[in-house]
Amino acid sequence: MVKLAEYSRTATFAWSHGKIPSLVTGTASGTVDANFSSESSLELWSLLSADASKPDASLAVDAKFNDLDWSQDNKILAGALDNGAVELFSNPKDSLKFEASFRSHSKSAKTVRFNAKQCNILASSGTQGEIFIWDLNTCLKNPDYKPLTPGSSMNSIDEITSLAWNQCLAHVFASAGSSAYASIWDLKAKKEVIHLSYSSPETGLKSQLSVVEWHPKNSTRVATATGSDTDPLILVWDLRNANTPLQTLSKGHSKGILSLDWCSEDENLLLSSGRDNTIVLWNPESGEELTQYPTRGNWCFKTKFAPDAPDLFASASFDNKIQVQTLQNLVTTLDQEQSVTKQQESETDFWNHVSQEESDVKPTVLRMQAPSWYENKSPAAHWAFGGKLVCITANGLGVSITKPKLPGLEDNALLDE
Amino acid sequence: MPTITNAHNDLIHDAVLDYYGKRLATCSSDKTIKIFEVEGENHKLVETLSGHEGPIWRVDWAHPKFGTILASCSYDGKVLIWKEENGKWAQIAVHAVHSASVNSVQWAPHEYGALILAASSDGKVSVVEFKDNGTTAPVVIEAHAIGVNAASWAPSVMPEGGVSNQTRRFVTGGADNLVKVWKYNSESQSVTLEDTLEGHTDWVRDVAWSPSVLLRCYIATVSQDRTCIIWSKEEKDDKWTKTLLQNEKFPDVLWRASWSLSGNILALSGGDNKVTLWKEDLEGKWEPAGEVQE
Repeated sequence: MVKLAEYSRTATFAWSHGKIPSLVTGTASGTVDANFSSESSLELWSLLSADASKPDASLAVDAKFNDLDWSQDNKILAGALDNGAVELFSNPKDSLKFEASFRSHSKSAKTVRFNAKQCNILASSGTQGEIFIWDLNTCLKNPDYKPLTPGSSMNSIDEITSLAWNQCLAHVFASAGSSAYASIWDLKAKKEVIHLSYSSPETGLKSQLSVVEWHPKNSTRVATATGSDTDPLILVWDLRNANTPLQTLSKGHSKGILSLDWCSEDENLLLSSGRDNTIVLWNPESGEELTQYPTRGNWCFKTKFAPDAPDLFASASFDNKIQVQTLQNLVTTLDQEQSVTKQQESETDFWNHVSQEESDVKPTVLRMQAPSWYENKSPAAHWAFGGKLVCITANGLGVSITKPKLPGLEDNALLDE
Repeated sequence: MPTITNAHNDLIHDAVLDYYGKRLATCSSDKTIKIFEVEGENHKLVETLSGHEGPIWRVDWAHPKFGTILASCSYDGKVLIWKEENGKWAQIAVHAVHSASVNSVQWAPHEYGALILAASSDGKVSVVEFKDNGTTAPVVIEAHAIGVNAASWAPSVMPEGGVSNQTRRFVTGGADNLVKVWKYNSESQSVTLEDTLEGHTDWVRDVAWSPSVLLRCYIATVSQDRTCIIWSKEEKDDKWTKTLLQNEKFPDVLWRASWSLSGNILALSGGDNKVTLWKEDLEGKWEPAGEVQE
């Protein structure tokens, strides 16, 4: 699919988990939309619905969203609201239902993230270093539930805009925000255990590490990104040597990076997006830039793979647009024919519909790398005439042609060479 | 029977013998196709074809009546057509109507003409005919929401040279866990959906329509959910019957299914490098039919 869907909303979003994912959006805080309305709503969109302009379900919410996340069992949605509330919703039979609200963050709730291993554990963060850990099994039953805090931090941390649970260990998570540090927390040790900071070789200054995401399978590997516009870098660390990054992904973005997503199905794919309005696909292992997606009308503040359909990813930008597109969107002969007819268009025709023209700029592929879910390592057995069977050998580099003995079908001497 | 070791220096994804069993085509992540001549125990590499910009997933020989022609499909979104003329191979056509990886390509039964069926991750399936004056008339349809992993033609039941009003069908398997049967009308150049077969709970990795023309037609579908389902029906019924090949799950993901050209023996390829053979017993149940020693 080229561009699967486009929703005209300035909103954060969360993917559901499943083969045919749906998307939930929450009106983004800190923006004034076209008609200056201050309403905020949570909306549910399904990719297969015929009319992409109307959500399947909508629920009014009393404050705007800074973040949204959906639990792995698709049962609970968590929202971080700019009035400091962490709100929980459910979606019985494709509708949206309010479940609970906790005004626990003093100023504004910045981000929420479900634990990768236990879907009843949720982390939320706010300003002044506030991080809360929620247990949904109890908080849904007790309106004056008080969330836990992860313990003491090494030094004062200001606003925390990025949280990420370790994908292998349920008790480890990372946080990052406006300070020059990214922190690694251990809930068992009840404190911040590792502190990541990076001084850029050019300026010698500590660069701001404001986004953090974990490797999908390796528990000691984590990626951070710099949100500031001066040398926006993505760094890949191995925590066993926390003072120098393993890999640097540079020159992909010209402005600060606002969002990262490490593909859960293929650790060699990482998405980033930011203030230069562009989305980039990287191979974080080799540091190579794979694809640059068409630039958007404004900052692209969130980009996420669909967890169980990673050929798709969604990205939200402040130009009132959430786009769902596929990793690949190659130039086809149909596009070439269209651009030929377009060049022969009269000038008046061209200027008449230039504004409504759906700009189908295609992504630039810098290096063609097939995601791991395409690599089908198997014997790929193929029958041929004369009862021959062609198989690829176990190491995948050779081929064997055999004639299997089939019980009940004795060899026919005439047939055999 | 020959074994060709280190045919490629990266993963091989498909290896197909031609009609006479004399030529073997292999394709790989190293972006090349290799053509081997095989004779009894020995083999000889005769050609290496480059042109694709990404890993090549499948190759398929055209029927010899069209000449020595091979089709290949790749992650680069293209189907390339190669032809050997007086000993020299050359790329003679490009079919680039898909905007994402083309995951399977197959020539139609030769009675329909030089027609290929391509399935792509862009969710579309295309049928393109290579006419004598070289023009191609692709029919492109939306088939599966998130991507099409495989497509397979039904055999032609028409006697050689018979009138060609007989419905032409193919089956597709997608990343939406569905299997769909389609009717292709060559006059009106249109494709219509005939059946949607639900049963798998994860990506359908391969679909294979049995080439044997029997009383019942058979489709084998294999999936990431580690099961194989046999769909079968008689020409007169309108409902497909669904039979799980075996009730318990296979040890690993099943990637490919291939029907023998006679005797309706099914060969399944698993991610655990095992190939298992199956045939139907008299009561319509499926039982193992021998093992392929590695």
